[in-house]
Amino acid sequence: MFHWLEKQPFLFSVGVFLVIAFAGLIEIVPDFAQASRPIAGKQPYTVLQLAGRHVYIKDSCNACHSQLIRPFKSETDRYGPYSLSGEYAYDRPFLWGSKRTGPDLHRVGEYRTTDWHENHMWEPTSVVPGSIMPSYKHMFTQNADIETAYAEALTVKKVFNVPYDKEGFTKLGSWEEAKQSALEEAKAIAADMKNQDVKDAVARGEIPEIVAIIAYMNGLH
Amino acid sequence: MNTNIFQDYVNQMSLAAAVIIVALTVYVAGKYIKQMKTEKAEGELAEENWDGIGEYKNELPSGWAYTFLGTMIWALWYWTAGYPVNAYSQIGEYNEEVAEHTQQFESKWASADKETLLAMGEGIYLVQCAPCHGIAGDGMGGKAADLSVWGSAAGVLETIKNGSKGLGYPMGEMPGGVLSGDDAKAVAEYVAGGMKGEQPGSFAACASCHGPDGKGMGGMAPDLTTYGSPAFVADVLERGKKGFIGTMVSFKGRLTPIQEKAVGTYILSLARGE
Repeated sequence: MFHWLEKQPFLFSVGVFLVIAFAGLIEIVPDFAQASRPIAGKQPYTVLQLAGRHVYIKDSCNACHSQLIRPFKSETDRYGPYSLSGEYAYDRPFLWGSKRTGPDLHRVGEYRTTDWHENHMWEPTSVVPGSIMPSYKHMFTQNADIETAYAEALTVKKVFNVPYDKEGFTKLGSWEEAKQSALEEAKAIAADMKNQDVKDAVARGEIPEIVAIIAYMNGLH
Repeated sequence: MNTNIFQDYVNQMSLAAAVIIVALTVYVAGKYIKQMKTEKAEGELAEENWDGIGEYKNELPSGWAYTFLGTMIWALWYWTAGYPVNAYSQIGEYNEEVAEHTQQFESKWASADKETLLAMGEGIYLVQCAPCHGIAGDGMGGKAADLSVWGSAAGVLETIKNGSKGLGYPMGEMPGGVLSGDDAKAVAEYVAGGMKGEQPGSFAACASCHGPDGKGMGGMAPDLTTYGSPAFVADVLERGKKGFIGTMVSFKGRLTPIQEKAVGTYILSLARGE
């Protein structure tokens, strides 16, 4: 019945390609058009949060922690509501992770606080006795890279049209303004912290990594 | 330990299966090798011919052909009606099942006895509360509120001495040291005892915010009559607290009312050993 088609190898190839491509388009296009749009009210990261995100990446937190809560009751009971694709709209790159040596962190800002993170990063076993997480004391002395964070924010604003500075969205502004608001955000976090060295550093106008990563963690929800 | 592997019936069956598979393989391979040696292909040749290589017309086996046609018809139905009208989503399934489970959970444990509540509360406490308050509930050396004194007279005394803030009541921050000495002790006993019996005269200092009956003047300040009960714990869980030690997040919507009651019951058992 289809011998005539087999006699036309070129036409046959084009036909097969079209059928498969069509199926692919039907699967992919709606997802790109709808589901991956930012969910309502999703804010791009502030410069300080972005700096914290860089610390998160630099110290390979994503090697042990995922950021993706699947729609299973066992996960939503522990980690909060399941993740939606639109929540990752401003994540470049996404940090879903592939392995949970530690717990998921996608909504850690909903159930952990500045003071808890401070204790935990200094010495994880002081708050979670069975923890195998190493301590990250260097975060208390090294300063976060605010310049790179600002550069990234400016780049994604210009190249990907991330809605910085638009009405109702995170303000970015000029480098001077961004630096100022990052410092103010850092001061609010340092006020909730106990480590005197960190408080002093922020008072001097420096931003230690611990402050940046706490800003990032508190913003995860 | 049994050393004779042939006594195990699973091994016997596996061996029998292996023998059958080998026999079948030998028979089928032999049949086709023989066929290749002796038989010649026959049938009607198709019209097309590539450099002398032809192809026999092989009709599709009818069962296969009807299945293939069937899938095509099914695909048309699925594409136009099946998927759009009846769309399945994993999220939808999750939402339905969780809503159903929550309803069942709430009705099943609506009148749970104390032992059940304690067991349930311990599980929730260890996952949700222990990271800050510690497994023993002692606040891990001042990192969070010490729940092992909360709900007792010692806990009230502590609050009177240090004050309290951050529950988000309109009356705002409670200053430390409103009462001291025996006055404070009397009030502490009275509040921790469920505010029964005669009110100590020094309670007047508390009444300006918490009301003469201690009920918090309709939501202006915490209701002291619920102090030391699961209801008070549920209130703190809902509100969260930004106190002197640090911040406690709000657990609003994360626990069901019965789970909140269970956690409250468990926390009280930590303090009072009940």
